[in-house]
Amino acid sequence: MTALEVARAALEAAGGEADAVARSERSGLARFADSEVHQPTLIENMVVTLRVVKGDRVGVATTNKIDAAGLAELARRAEAAAASAPVDESFPGLAPPSQSPQVEGYDETTAALDPGDQARLAATAIDAAGEIPVYGFFTSAKSVLAVASSTGVELEQRMTDATALVVAAAEGCSGYAEQTAWRADDVDPAAVTREASDKAARTKGAGALDPGVYRAVLEPYAFADLLDYFSHDSLGALGLLEKRSYLADRIGQQVADEKITIRDDPLDLHGLPKAFDFEGTPKHPVVLIEDGIARGVVWDRTTAARARNGASTTGHAGPVESRDWGPLPYSLTVSPGDAESVDELADLVGDGIYITRLHYLGVIDPRGGIVTGMTRDGTFRIRDGKLAEPLVNLRFTVSVPDMLRDVYGLTRRASLVNSQNFYGDRYPYGVLAPALATGRFAITGVGSKPGI
Amino acid sequence: MRDLCAAAIEAAAAAGAEYADARVVLKRDQLVATKNGIVDRMADAESEGIGVRVLVNGAWGFACDRRLTDEGAHNAATRAATFARAAAGRHSRALAPVEPRTARHESVVAQDPFAVPLADKVDLCLRADAALQHEDVVVRQVMVRTRREHKLLLSSEGTEVEQILTESGAGLDCAAARDGVFQLRSYPSAHVGSSCQSGWEYVEGLRLVEEAPRVAEQAAALVRAEPCPSGVTDVVLDADQVALQVHESVGHPTELDRVYGTEASYAGTSFLKPGDLGSLRYGSEHMNITADPTTPAGLGSFAFDDEGVPAEPAPVVERGRLTGFLTSRETAARIGSGSGGSMRADSWNRMPLVRMTNLHIEPGEGSLEELIAGVDEGIYMETNRSWSIDDKRLNFQFGTQIAWEIKRGRLGRMLRDATYTGITPEFWGTLDAVAGPDEWKLYGLTNCGKGQPGQSAHVSHGAAPARFRKVQVGVRT
Repeated sequence: MTALEVARAALEAAGGEADAVARSERSGLARFADSEVHQPTLIENMVVTLRVVKGDRVGVATTNKIDAAGLAELARRAEAAAASAPVDESFPGLAPPSQSPQVEGYDETTAALDPGDQARLAATAIDAAGEIPVYGFFTSAKSVLAVASSTGVELEQRMTDATALVVAAAEGCSGYAEQTAWRADDVDPAAVTREASDKAARTKGAGALDPGVYRAVLEPYAFADLLDYFSHDSLGALGLLEKRSYLADRIGQQVADEKITIRDDPLDLHGLPKAFDFEGTPKHPVVLIEDGIARGVVWDRTTAARARNGASTTGHAGPVESRDWGPLPYSLTVSPGDAESVDELADLVGDGIYITRLHYLGVIDPRGGIVTGMTRDGTFRIRDGKLAEPLVNLRFTVSVPDMLRDVYGLTRRASLVNSQNFYGDRYPYGVLAPALATGRFAITGVGSKPGI
Repeated sequence: MRDLCAAAIEAAAAAGAEYADARVVLKRDQLVATKNGIVDRMADAESEGIGVRVLVNGAWGFACDRRLTDEGAHNAATRAATFARAAAGRHSRALAPVEPRTARHESVVAQDPFAVPLADKVDLCLRADAALQHEDVVVRQVMVRTRREHKLLLSSEGTEVEQILTESGAGLDCAAARDGVFQLRSYPSAHVGSSCQSGWEYVEGLRLVEEAPRVAEQAAALVRAEPCPSGVTDVVLDADQVALQVHESVGHPTELDRVYGTEASYAGTSFLKPGDLGSLRYGSEHMNITADPTTPAGLGSFAFDDEGVPAEPAPVVERGRLTGFLTSRETAARIGSGSGGSMRADSWNRMPLVRMTNLHIEPGEGSLEELIAGVDEGIYMETNRSWSIDDKRLNFQFGTQIAWEIKRGRLGRMLRDATYTGITPEFWGTLDAVAGPDEWKLYGLTNCGKGQPGQSAHVSHGAAPARFRKVQVGVRT
């Protein structure tokens, strides 16, 4: 059965007012370490979540048993949950049927990759390594999201995604690179390895740096990671309503440099396009920060109803495993600047640091947008506008809005940076970000040397 | 279940596997969560499938299928073998020997948590929610959760182990906001409460409704508290934060697969080397860490791990010296020590990895008050709020939800936004006391991430409050 057929069958099993979200995944991930595949995982699954509405009561249940008996049991559990639920006067009702946009995001060639192909593409990354061993993976998947409801919603989107990720690392040196796309042909595993290996070779002999506030160039990997963390509290409606968001009470105000425009653009071909959300609401681009001015956040039906301020859903209800965060921007897009390269950004910085990638981020103060973490796999000093000596891994503690208030420039080219770590069921998403040069990046500690 | 596993192993052998294991897992998770007086989530998820792991010419392969049918079992086995055969590398693997066993094990449960009516769970959450109400509290959250995992492992070596593990857990959080200050307070632990392998009796024992008013009062007080000052000072951590400290700075770095670099592309590696075993000074003589998958009610408890290795306790750090790693059969063979016993998979659709089981800091003596009494000037910190540590598990920065200054052995004013930072062995070297058995508690975490594709492990840590001297508190700029 297709995902939409499973959603329809679940709906039929429920019999009354309900919606069903079905997701299928067929994926392969060939993970390697020390230039050898050691954790190869092939996944085939189909999961359906049924939400039944009994008056003002709502019950939800999920299963991957999609035969008739499994779906009947699913309906029974969802109805039992609804019967046990108190009246929810804030429930906004099920989404009405509507026309979702036609989007790209599915590629037959990528969907057809089999385990042999996936292992071969991982081998391509491994074979491109020089003296420095490589660690990483190649993965590709076909996933399908379908929504059907008693209100008449009937939607299905097929998606493909592929990522090659490489850390080239040995004693005292490491470098990182990654490519993600919905067409596997747009991912070049050998090029990823070459980028990571070149970077690693330049990190040998890394030295320490005194804590302090530095000017910095952030590669797209680092910038995207910071934005992803920041977005969870600050760019979704739940954070706004609960006053965790930096944007709470700041909508309409200048919160960043005028060079900064951030949108959620699910239709962008260069990202991982999405047609509708997990409630069946069509997606469309949402401006979050425009020329440095806070314009808004993303909404789903639940938060829009709770806000009671005229807000309406923007089509950003997420998968069930992310519901605690409320609606999130799954297609963050930062408008590029006019710098031709990161070298030009380094020239703008003059004296500062260059950061390739971040590690283990933690939000210290969501209201202030303050995030801590470590740099990793390619940190350098910038002197006289040029990349200079390598640095050890550095602890940073930055206010993301402060970092974005003092921007020297952004590159003309943006890169798609994968944001999913493949927990739970596959839902490809990422951040489309250029490299950034900022005047404020606080280093608060010194860690270990790069490498293994 | 048994026939399917046997069919999968037979198919794997036919496809050329020199070793194979097959796991059928049936899992059910139930969650009730309320927020600000309404039911926010009622999730009741079932998942089942078969996962087959093979060794072909020394290379691993893993594939899974949700279908518990002969076709699903055969499909998973043959695809796993295909993937293994295509895997790049040198592939010279040995597995530490394990005696094949046939066994059945089940968690000790007094009151089946799935037999408790959903309506009762909702009612408990809403009563606790009501008890969290306070004029400065802007978000109130309460949750209860239960899980049952029924799994059968068969291997080509003759292992046949069936286990039924049942978990229960609960927790509450509230957030207060005032004048642009946003503060959190949780009970009994942050990050989805705390859980145990237990029945509903664990949830009832947490007394959520009775604890809620104190939690709300503290959240409200925090938005009026002064920020924690920066500086080098003595620190006393509550048991919850010590558990997190053990998890991040002892548990992960002692996973031997990380030591060998197999997590380098995601979670990171370790500052430890295989040759450090028996010689590395990890901390002071007060530091004793034990991995114990036999701990009653531990989230990481089992009779056999997901390679069929029997559970047994093992020291990891003794009197400050590294004496053990967490291992798989493969990594144990590589280091020439032990037989594994820490391999766990998130579900049927993930390959087992070296994971923490239950990792405890052994208690010392005395009470929390006595630890505090031994500090002339310092900070007492309670309940984790933020955590970050570098890829080798050396440089860390952790924050807590609440803190108090310590003056001449007594708690003083409340402080907010407390963080501390350090380098793992240096920090553990400043440990000068761990409170006694009466203060030792078991905390269960359900969000330990590792692996690509990602896996969330459920692990427990027994911990007591501990005192550290001359710690960097706050941000150093």
